[in-house]
Amino acid sequence: MSAVPTELASWSHPPWLREFAVEEGHAWIFVLKSLLAFYLAAWLTMVFQLEQPATTMITVAIVMHPQSGTVLAKSFYRALGTCTGSLFGVLLMAAFPQQRELFLLSMSIWVALCAGGAVLYRNFTSYGFVLAGYTAFIVVLPAIDHPTAVFDSAVARVSEVMLGIIVSGLVSDVVLPMRLRDLLRRISREHYQHFIDFARGSLGGAIPRADMEKAHLRFVRAAVQIEDLRSSVIFEDPEVRARSSRMQLLNLRYMAAATSFQSLHHLINRLQRSNHPRTAAALIKLYAPIGEALSPAPTEKPIPRLLATRLEACEAKLPALAAELREDLRQDPNLLLEFDSGTTLVRRFAAELRDFTSLEASLRETQGVAGGSVERVDFKRANDYASPLIAIVRTFFTMATLSIFWIETGWTFGLSALLLATVFSGLLATSPSPLVATANTWVAYAVGLVAAYFVVFELMPGSDGFVMLILVTAPLLALGPYLTTRNATLPGVGAGYSLGFAYILALKNPMVYAPERFLNDSIAALFGLMMSGAAFMIIPTVIGTQWLRRRQLVQLRRQVVFAATAPMDGILYRFESVNRDLYQQIVQFTRPGSEESRVLFAWALAVHDGGRAVIELRQDMLHEGLPPPVRESMQHAVNALADLYDAPDSARWTAADSAVDQAITLTTQTLPQARASCQPALADLLQLRTALRDDESALAPYIVKTAEIAHAP
Amino acid sequence: MPREIALADALVPGLLLIYLGCLLVLWLIDTIIGRYGLYRYVWHPSLFRVAVFFLLFGAAGLLLYP
Repeated sequence: MSAVPTELASWSHPPWLREFAVEEGHAWIFVLKSLLAFYLAAWLTMVFQLEQPATTMITVAIVMHPQSGTVLAKSFYRALGTCTGSLFGVLLMAAFPQQRELFLLSMSIWVALCAGGAVLYRNFTSYGFVLAGYTAFIVVLPAIDHPTAVFDSAVARVSEVMLGIIVSGLVSDVVLPMRLRDLLRRISREHYQHFIDFARGSLGGAIPRADMEKAHLRFVRAAVQIEDLRSSVIFEDPEVRARSSRMQLLNLRYMAAATSFQSLHHLINRLQRSNHPRTAAALIKLYAPIGEALSPAPTEKPIPRLLATRLEACEAKLPALAAELREDLRQDPNLLLEFDSGTTLVRRFAAELRDFTSLEASLRETQGVAGGSVERVDFKRANDYASPLIAIVRTFFTMATLSIFWIETGWTFGLSALLLATVFSGLLATSPSPLVATANTWVAYAVGLVAAYFVVFELMPGSDGFVMLILVTAPLLALGPYLTTRNATLPGVGAGYSLGFAYILALKNPMVYAPERFLNDSIAALFGLMMSGAAFMIIPTVIGTQWLRRRQLVQLRRQVVFAATAPMDGILYRFESVNRDLYQQIVQFTRPGSEESRVLFAWALAVHDGGRAVIELRQDMLHEGLPPPVRESMQHAVNALADLYDAPDSARWTAADSAVDQAITLTTQTLPQARASCQPALADLLQLRTALRDDESALAPYIVKTAEIAHAP
Repeated sequence: MPREIALADALVPGLLLIYLGCLLVLWLIDTIIGRYGLYRYVWHPSLFRVAVFFLLFGAAGLLLYP
């Protein structure tokens, strides 16, 4: 729709109306696609003479999602989960055909493990785990009273589930697809632009801490978000799949450049605060060419390729400018050292920025795969084992309690309750507020049941044939997908409604008129759902609690230990990605502007700064020309730093400080004999000392003041 | 080709194996096309993909089970 700038046009299409229309349009396209998938799946199941079209429809209800990439990704993991789950179900049935206690015990353990896996892994892998648990259940469910039929039942269920997966994948991919790829492209370009603008705009050097905090948060979000999208777009688009490793490398370069940028500004800020404005001014002057390189004349289009060539030209100018500025500071050797470490940072940042822009340029210019291979890098996630463990225990107790209840009471519909508990204790375990989510889902589920009651017992008896079936079920079924598109404001409601409706509709050919089964099954399902909610009350989730955040903060701090001890191969990407993933996980649950978020940010900066310098130092220590005693003292400094970050206190701070200091003295002494090997390492050591003595960093409470005085000129 | 094939004593329809084989071939073709960026000559890539699959599966099925 093109905007016509006349009075009349703007009156007849006010912007809010257009926005509303676009949003509603997307929602209704999704509703139509979902209905198409539902009825196509049900029809095919009946054509193939499978027993339960209901299973297919439930599958469609779970799998359909407004964006197509996610459906394919979900389908892939869902297929894996289904196969694993059904195999396990058959195995279990074969092992304990007569022993229901042992059978239910093993089943509880299996479902609990699956729920734990769902919490441990994120994105769609998590989905696969939920499904592995519940397919195992759904397979044995009809065969539980006559175990000999378990194989046939398994084959039928797997066929139905797979049919549902295939149909929903096909419909959402072919009929008016909404591409995640476009979203990925838009977002990654936005982040690129933001980063370049930020680097250009900070010519003045000093950035207020609040701004830096916001920028850091944005850099971190960008890195994690792009990785999330990339990992699901590769299922949608073979072109993205072919460029996947290049995009990962781009993300790494983005993260590395952001870290260097922050270290640099940290250093400049600190120099300004601690009465070395001349050094700070010199560094800002040194940074100026980069800013200029990033702002080409307005006549030229600022495409990445142009920026990359300009940055390359600027990089060549930097050493000369650095030497010139160094001349002015010659009278004070202490300042000179600070300036040298700043110079290294500026040059590192320039080089990383150049790599980043040139890779972005090559990604934008080429279609398909460009020649040559790139370094393979992998985005590592930070996992904490506490919350999966708790999920395992909780799910196990839920399942065990329900099983015992079922056995003791001989309740005919106990199995339905168990099934629902299985599904939802897995699905909801990843939610930070499972109680609210359960309540929402429960209400929506109940509403879905009521709607289905009306359809099954008022409308269906008078209808005949498949077209009539569509006519009577469609209006109320359509509500489910529509509510799903409102997931931001009504979380869990759409899924609950669709599931409740499709589950209790229990489409069969021919349909049976059985109100008592309907009511019993409804009560059982709601009871099972309530039980999984009650389990969350008794064993609350740890996701988002103070306790877990504190644990994760410790984990973040130990990233420096990782940087100091892990094998060097691919260490940089693992370090940068885990840092960001952790920070992202913690920051989700901290209030912006609170004391906690301030502390978290301080630690994140200290870890980024210190860890990166440690990695660079270890890289430089690999240089062959380094005399062994010097290398030994550096290794000693690295170990002392690792100790400090492992459990910070004043004694360790003193030890680390003196170790770094000693390494600096030794390196400075040997500098004239081995300049090539000592120079880069010295700069890293200086940066480490700067980070250590920063009185605004997270390490500030442990700083021993006497050390500062002893080194004062 | 036999209608049913015994895999570990479980009878599996031969058509299912052909289906899986066709999926594999489709995936291969898809990767090659994506690798060289040829999808820009296609109006609706996913429809194209489905059509290719139908061609493959139809041809294989009809050739093997006349």
